[in-house]
Amino acid sequence: MLSQRLIGRAAVKSAFKPSGLPSIVSASRWSRMYATEAERDLVIIGGGVAGYVAAIKAGQEGMKVTCIEKRGALGGTCLNVGCIPSKSLLNNSHLYHQILHDSKHRGIEVNDVKLNLKQMMKAKEQSVAGLTKGVEFLFKKNGVQYLKGIGSFQDEHTVKVQLNDGGETSVKGKNILIATGSDVTPFPGLDIDEKKVISSTGAISLEEVPKKLAVIGGGIIGLEMASVWSRLGAEVTVVEFLDVIGGPGMDTEIAKNIQKILKKQGINFKTGTKVVSGDKTGESVKLNVDSAKGGKPETLDADVVLVAIGRRPYTANLGLENIGLELDERGRVIIDSEYRTKIPHIRCVGDVTFGPMLAHKAEEEAVAVVEYIKKGYGHVNYGCIPAVMYTFPEVAWVGQSEQDLKKAGIKYRVGTFPFSANSRAKTNLDTDGMVKMLADPETDRLLGIHIIGPNAGEMIAEGTLALEYGASSEDIARTCHAHPTLAEAFKEAAMATYSKPIHF
Amino acid sequence: MATSFVLRQAAAHAERTPSIRFIGKRTTPASVDHTPQPHPASPTHSLPASFTSGSSHSSFSAYRDHAQQFGPLRKTIKADAGIGGSPASRLGPVIPPQGVAFDRNDLPPRFHRQPLTAAEIEAIETGGATLWA
Repeated sequence: MLSQRLIGRAAVKSAFKPSGLPSIVSASRWSRMYATEAERDLVIIGGGVAGYVAAIKAGQEGMKVTCIEKRGALGGTCLNVGCIPSKSLLNNSHLYHQILHDSKHRGIEVNDVKLNLKQMMKAKEQSVAGLTKGVEFLFKKNGVQYLKGIGSFQDEHTVKVQLNDGGETSVKGKNILIATGSDVTPFPGLDIDEKKVISSTGAISLEEVPKKLAVIGGGIIGLEMASVWSRLGAEVTVVEFLDVIGGPGMDTEIAKNIQKILKKQGINFKTGTKVVSGDKTGESVKLNVDSAKGGKPETLDADVVLVAIGRRPYTANLGLENIGLELDERGRVIIDSEYRTKIPHIRCVGDVTFGPMLAHKAEEEAVAVVEYIKKGYGHVNYGCIPAVMYTFPEVAWVGQSEQDLKKAGIKYRVGTFPFSANSRAKTNLDTDGMVKMLADPETDRLLGIHIIGPNAGEMIAEGTLALEYGASSEDIARTCHAHPTLAEAFKEAAMATYSKPIHF
Repeated sequence: MATSFVLRQAAAHAERTPSIRFIGKRTTPASVDHTPQPHPASPTHSLPASFTSGSSHSSFSAYRDHAQQFGPLRKTIKADAGIGGSPASRLGPVIPPQGVAFDRNDLPPRFHRQPLTAAEIEAIETGGATLWA
């Protein structure tokens, strides 16, 4: 009765309005509101660093956002099987190695030092679980809808989700962000079983220390994992196709230096060497290697082989064929400077598209892409993205390397400062490494900064800030740095670049 | 002599302008060109033709096949008839000729007056009293 009366009143009201249309208009308005509510402002496929940061940022900007992640835990490769677990192992294996080999001459005598690998792995898992749960909390805090399942394009506005718990749903988005990341590039003819032939994922969860570990690829991932297992007692050989280790971007002088330091730590290197084939049918894995130019065949024997030849964009099961999106020759989603694909409301960031496959680059892009959607303007400086290798000592760099500048025909001035002349490094008995700065000879503006040294990964932040703001080496040299700190080496390298260092 | 040289040097230091640029609070530029440009990290430094043509669709009709507004657009564009089927100029003048008036009922149904229900008519006739009966 009551509802009938209410309808009647509404009808009378509308009947007195001059156009005679409002009752119909208001009905369609209601249905429109319903449709708008069902459609999300932003649907993100992938809950890795790129995806989850974009989701949180979009939530903060007041957008209705859905994030789809198939792993069942947020954070992607970085938090679950990449940066974070590897740093836990790197830190704890370094402590173990230091206690075992480096404590006596520091005046600490420790007896009966044993490795408890299970506990080391547990500590790693605790760090990972804490961080992934933390991201889930941030989703709730910022009103992000989290769907656990595999997302694939049904059409240009609809993403179908195969839920991990069974069943299927779909979500419509005004904007859609592809942030599906990357996976390990396999080595042809050597299947990764994560037992005898492992990827970086297997390398962070081995159940025992292998006697012999061969690493295919002397890039950052290969060298970090080589460090972990070498410290824990494995005999490690790194096979690198190029003549230098470190991968793209690392300054050649720095790469040669770190190779010497790591060799001193017990890691064997075979640079300029290609892996021709592998055989894992026996008890161990046999790798047939040869000189990159050919003519020096050799067989390496290893209990475990780590394939660390790089990563490739991950677009499997994304349904790109349903929306006609093409990939480039390396499988990357093609985007423009505002992260738009050729379908403008579908954007893409992170490992699955252009640029270095680094978590912090993905984070920057994630914030920028949401700003582009919301404000029409965002910012990422691709000339100023730091890179860090977490070996001991660490290697870090930002900007251009000496070989980059030579290749581009850009004139430069070099300034270096060794940690062996730094007071804090001396007191820490960690004097391996140096800071190297490259600056324009006329304007003194910084072009690149390269560091090998303890805590280089932290120190590079100062260099990145300086580079971002267009600082000169003199700007850094004239900035007071606390004494005694490792950062003084940074200041002295700047002094060496524009003038002369005091302590060297 | 030496003193004036030292003073000159000191003055030069005091006047040294750092190369560092302080941008201050960031604001969105008043006008931003949103024309697709190659991504700075793109190895080819170019965009495929599908970007530069301004649309991923070869024709307006192809665009309508994909475009959505509260669901897919209705396929009203036909070569022979319907809205958009022929150019407006071919449909004749919009203004009625002298002495002729267009009837509302000649317009598409969505512009017609909505019929009143019996209850509405009764409510109007009784000044709303029947609602309270």
